[in-house]
Amino acid sequence: MENIELQKLWKNIDTEINQKSKEELNLLLSSKTKQTINKFLLIMGFSNLVCIGILVYVTITALNRPDDLIYLINNVTLGVVTLISLFSGLYSWRKFQNYKYDQPLRDWLEGRINLLSKWLTGSYSKLYIFLMPFLYLLTVLSIHVYFENKSFIDVLNTEESIIGLIVGIPVGLFVSYYSVRKVRKYQLQNLKFLKDLYARLGNMS
Amino acid sequence: MELLKNEFLEILSNYQGILYKVSLVYFKSKTDREDNFQEIVYQLWKSYPKLQNKNSIGSWIYAVSINTSISRIKKERRIEYRENVPELHDKSDIIDEMEKNESVRLLINAIHNLDEIDKSIMLLYLEEKSYDEIAEIIGFSKSNVGVRINRAKKTLKQNLKT
Repeated sequence: MENIELQKLWKNIDTEINQKSKEELNLLLSSKTKQTINKFLLIMGFSNLVCIGILVYVTITALNRPDDLIYLINNVTLGVVTLISLFSGLYSWRKFQNYKYDQPLRDWLEGRINLLSKWLTGSYSKLYIFLMPFLYLLTVLSIHVYFENKSFIDVLNTEESIIGLIVGIPVGLFVSYYSVRKVRKYQLQNLKFLKDLYARLGNMS
Repeated sequence: MELLKNEFLEILSNYQGILYKVSLVYFKSKTDREDNFQEIVYQLWKSYPKLQNKNSIGSWIYAVSINTSISRIKKERRIEYRENVPELHDKSDIIDEMEKNESVRLLINAIHNLDEIDKSIMLLYLEEKSYDEIAEIIGFSKSNVGVRINRAKKTLKQNLKT
């Protein structure tokens, strides 16, 4: 098919487009805006709920154990790390959502790749490997010690508690790592896809 | 705000064909195209207040539409949080309409078989955009536009033959 023919053929599409009215476009825009706000609120709401839940729990249990210094340190550390994780997570998510689309494809791809690379392969990308077992251990200890009605040191000196922790911690960690790895795998595939596209553009310039 | 929105809807109403066509080259299913159309509208609205050069509205719409479409292409399907999208009166699908025209259907199929970059280049070429505009939208040098168009056309013609 000749070039002119291709362009003529393409023009046929214009006649088949069902133009939406301004009211319909407005409805689409309002619905999408609402949907995005709800999505944000859902994520914010869930994260906040988890965070508030942990903070309330660590505060109440710490207040009930004012004499157990190690338990207090455990709970304060857990609360601080949870708060930092929550805020950095929400900040990154917001940054990603606000990424600009009104730029040339090449610049857009470059920016998107940089942003994703920073998360997935940057200096702090493996932080979760250390942070997850640390947080998990603090949470398990906080709950276990509290409901054992003994001091932190006494609980750790009990054989049953140690066995319980040795069995329970790997199971919990396995589930957490598995979930995080699944998300990372999906994001890494996404990054690879964007890099491929960028490489193809790079070959042209 | 209301004035800005009206101005935006007026522009969108005049240029909505671009959104249809970009969605058409990137997505095969009607649902994906509709979702993409809506996402483009939203992204355009988000960047509209910062639009400085109102003489190149077309290029801006193409850039946002292409970038949004590429960001929505997923290697694996996943369930997205969705709220009810309003049902519009338009029930007919452009591809169904195109079934009547065999040549156009073949052309769309051939475009679907191009890679993501060639799809955008071919779309802009078929839309008769100038080399300057294509270079601005895609972000590479003007001297490479011709080379890349010829390469994409060659692949497209091969796809049309098969």
